[in-house]
Amino acid sequence: MQVAPPRTLTELFMGFLAIGARSFGGVMPWAYRTMVEERRWLSQADFAETIGLCQFLPGPNIGNASIVLGKRWFGVSGAVVAFLGLMALPFVWVMLLGIVYLEWASHPTVRAIVTGVGATGAGLFIGTALKLGRALVRKPAALALVAACFLAVGVARWSLLIVMPLAIVLGVFLARRQWL
Amino acid sequence: MILLDLALTFGVLSLIAFGGMPSVMPEMQRLVVEVKGWTTDAQFIQLFAIAQAAPGPNVLIVSLIGWRAAGLAGAVVALLAVCAPAAVLAWWIADLWERFKDSPWRRAIQQAIAPLVVGLTLAGGYVLCTPAAPDWRLWAIAAGAAAAMLALRVNPLWLLAAGGAAGAFLLQ
Repeated sequence: MQVAPPRTLTELFMGFLAIGARSFGGVMPWAYRTMVEERRWLSQADFAETIGLCQFLPGPNIGNASIVLGKRWFGVSGAVVAFLGLMALPFVWVMLLGIVYLEWASHPTVRAIVTGVGATGAGLFIGTALKLGRALVRKPAALALVAACFLAVGVARWSLLIVMPLAIVLGVFLARRQWL
Repeated sequence: MILLDLALTFGVLSLIAFGGMPSVMPEMQRLVVEVKGWTTDAQFIQLFAIAQAAPGPNVLIVSLIGWRAAGLAGAVVALLAVCAPAAVLAWWIADLWERFKDSPWRRAIQQAIAPLVVGLTLAGGYVLCTPAAPDWRLWAIAAGAAAAMLALRVNPLWLLAAGGAAGAFLLQ
């Protein structure tokens, strides 16, 4: 498959605008469809590698991907343009929904529906974690680290600013000893 | 000054959000609800729901929080604050990461991060569906959503819609 990066900043902006505009129910599938299948800006392997890096980096994954890809193709202006294209429409959508919701928030049925949607979103987090966790099932040290993070942050409500550095140091130590 | 407060709060979250936004949801909830008081815990799950239902990255929940705290300026500041520090990091790590492709330290860091992301994402889900006192109805909806997500391959929007309907039945 022939792949070629976007030729102009306008093209880059329109591509990321298309990703943001359509990304109901998750951005990644739309990012893949737009950049790999429709516009053919990069190959499947390249996409996977870039997303892999962005999933590892802190911060919103797809936001980071827009920065990394924009930079690769056009430098600073590319990073800014890709990021703005990605966020522009979703920002407007979410604000409009927020305003509409506020109008209706005192209505008990509306509040019940929205809270139900929120609990579903929480369930999707749990499902995602279980899916990612499958790869760790045979590694007791990794499972212990999972449990420790969950208990410290989710149940004991310790600050992530304390838990995160400790857990990373511990994790790297375990990984260097081949326990992870 | 509230805009500065928003910028600092979300700026710090940006740099510890390994694996993306889900892993900092417990911390975000703690800061926004318990420390800063920008929303109540019931409002937090509702803003989260709106950000999930809208198209686009789920990071946009911070815009809703910023908006509640300080209007439109707050919405923009919160979004930029949660993206910019991570973006700067992504900017220079992208090259560095490539250079250390075969380094054992890169492998060790990757292996170390994986269980953290799983544990923190679990914590995020747990905290979101446990706003104040444990509520079996929210847990039931969340458990159903998690099971459906793993068993079926459907667009998550359908699950969110089903969860909304379940909420209308159970939560009034």
